[in-house]
Amino acid sequence: MSANTVKPAKKKSLYRSEMWWGFLFIAPPFIGVLVFLLYPFVNSLYMSFTTFNFGQPADFTGVANYKRALTNDPLVWKTLWNTFYAALGVPVSMIVSLIIALLLDRKLRGRNFFRMMFFLPTICSMVALAMIWQWIFNADFGLLNYYLSELGLNPPAWLVDEKWAMFAIIIQGVWGGMGVSIILYLAALGNVPSSLYEAATVDGAGGWNKFIHITVPGISPVTFFVLITSLIGALQDFPRFQLLTGGGPNYSTTTIVYYLYTIAFEYSEMGYASAIAWFIGIIIMFVILINFLLSKRWVHYN
Amino acid sequence: MKKSSIMMLTLITALTVTACSSNNGGNNGTAGNNAAPGAAESSNTAAANKESEQPPAEKVEISISSWGAPDERKVFEAVLDEFQKANPNIKVKFIHIPNDYTTKMNTMIAGNSAPDVVFTSDGDFPRWVKQGAFLDITQYVEASDKLDLNDMWEGGLNRYRYDGKITGTGSYYALPKDIGPTVMYYNKTIFDKLGVPYPSAETPMNWEQALEMWKKLTVDENGDGKTDIYGAGPIWWEGFVWGNSGAVLSEDRKQFTLNETAAADAMQFIYDLTNTHKVVPDSRALQSMNDGQMFEAGKLATITGGRWMVPTYRKLKFDWDVAPIPSNNGSWTNGWSGSVGLGVNAKSKHPEAAFKLVEFFSGIEGQTKMTELGFQIPNFKSMSDDEVYTQPGQKPEHSEVFIKAGEGQQAGTWTYLPNSKWLDTLNQNLSKFWTGKESAVDFFTKLKPQVEKNLKEGNPELFQ
Repeated sequence: MSANTVKPAKKKSLYRSEMWWGFLFIAPPFIGVLVFLLYPFVNSLYMSFTTFNFGQPADFTGVANYKRALTNDPLVWKTLWNTFYAALGVPVSMIVSLIIALLLDRKLRGRNFFRMMFFLPTICSMVALAMIWQWIFNADFGLLNYYLSELGLNPPAWLVDEKWAMFAIIIQGVWGGMGVSIILYLAALGNVPSSLYEAATVDGAGGWNKFIHITVPGISPVTFFVLITSLIGALQDFPRFQLLTGGGPNYSTTTIVYYLYTIAFEYSEMGYASAIAWFIGIIIMFVILINFLLSKRWVHYN
Repeated sequence: MKKSSIMMLTLITALTVTACSSNNGGNNGTAGNNAAPGAAESSNTAAANKESEQPPAEKVEISISSWGAPDERKVFEAVLDEFQKANPNIKVKFIHIPNDYTTKMNTMIAGNSAPDVVFTSDGDFPRWVKQGAFLDITQYVEASDKLDLNDMWEGGLNRYRYDGKITGTGSYYALPKDIGPTVMYYNKTIFDKLGVPYPSAETPMNWEQALEMWKKLTVDENGDGKTDIYGAGPIWWEGFVWGNSGAVLSEDRKQFTLNETAAADAMQFIYDLTNTHKVVPDSRALQSMNDGQMFEAGKLATITGGRWMVPTYRKLKFDWDVAPIPSNNGSWTNGWSGSVGLGVNAKSKHPEAAFKLVEFFSGIEGQTKMTELGFQIPNFKSMSDDEVYTQPGQKPEHSEVFIKAGEGQQAGTWTYLPNSKWLDTLNQNLSKFWTGKESAVDFFTKLKPQVEKNLKEGNPELFQ
């Protein structure tokens, strides 16, 4: 009897002390998010309505920064367009990754070696890669133009040509971004139940039909995941552009985040930069939202 | 009991961890960069010597930041040592920021953690002075008995002045640590081989003479239709504009004037050098090897470069010398000079000690030490005949060209205004001009409204 009466009390105190331990353990990330994420987040929202530019006092100017960005700064639209153009690399990269993953999924010789090779760019320093690609895209001595002229073509001066610079960077991006997607696709391909393939074979389905009706739906959650993460990455990308072309020629490879960086850290217009940051944030949110809505039609869980 | 003590311990650890990390963020790079350990010792003896003359002042510690390669850093530390010997009551903490200096200093200035003495390139200076990072040191400068302003290069001093709107006039906010004028380096071996007379070291050639010389120096040695040696490297266009009595911006910096006759003629001439006369490699040819590499490989007969190239070129295997950059009106405003300045942090607790250090660097003592290295010309006209600078027996033969250039040349366009978006717009469009088909007048007239819009947006105080 007495044991019964004691027990709940003990449980409660145990629960309580456990609760404090729990709080203690989640405190570091929680404080981290609060200090390093939430505070800057709110602060930048406030700053976007002011003329803050480091040292000087910030005057509250309402939506002036937003108005300037949307109506009076053609570079915002140009760089936004560039960003979406650059994001075309995402679907291309995904298709190429899937094809390579399908090839690597077979039992071929040196499979691990190839897997490693395709993953290698992911762990390399972006600066080193940019140097290599600058050489590959070199107009007269570059590897790419060497082979193209062997084929009898008259290749452009890639990175210094306003029309071709972005295209060149997309090629680099497709190559550099494949590593992670291939790994994810390989894992997904392994998870498609083999019983489905066996059943389809019994019913006389060919390779293409099996791919379209079993593989593609089977890996659709991973496709969706890769799409969303790459899209966010692509819309915020800029170090590659800075290293490969410095945003030129004539701003043809300046992405909007690169432009934002220039405004904030070269022109010190933090208020204006914050406004553009929020503008980009909202656009990205919409893009992702649309994708989530569309995903109901083509992503099959289970 | 036990439990709570463990909990306390964890909490304390957590707190210290966060405290530590924030500390690291603030003082990025300070650790281990203390001035040489010997300094304290020697300053003690110096203090003992001076004790009879001066009442012992309170010892203060100031900090200074800089970037720089290892050999520059060594010289820098030697100057700091000497300063501490001469000023035993001032201890200097040296913060070396080799990479990404501008970004880090931006953060430090915004976070009020910048050092007492701030190293600044002349390009960063306008932005930081507008942010209020630097102390107005006019009074100190005028009272100083170590700085004879009349003996210093005007072009070096003026770029660190600011009147609240534009740089170049107004109060002093920093002093030049150095000034690096630009000249035309030439490969004597190529001149000899092709039988072309050396350019004069006394007077700049005009464009006609220069073009004639460059044409003779441009050769296709093996007859494969590709030029093997070009007469000149890429032209630094600002100097040609000034050397034709043109300007990039109007005097009050409110207008873009590159489309006006004198300036546009200069731009057109440079365009023709590459596209019509083909004596300058185009951007495509430069992609495989940049101009510096081409000069070093003997593929360029002449190249524009600053004083700072001298230590590098002294290692070259061929014979070279320097001559003035061509200028159509014969003036020595034929290019820009680079410079690094030293300012006192507006929030410094020891402005007097900090200024003493700036004065030391900018003054005779610091200049002597740093000139030895060969990167710069001395700040003082009177020092330019000194062997410390001329370094007889070492290249270049005509080192007086640098002195004349230093006297006549101007600060670059990047020092004009706190906000440089107008310049970025111009630069981004320049590549289009160099490779395009439009005439200079048309091109820059079309660009004018865009650049002026940037001028206005970025520097509203200019138009008030």
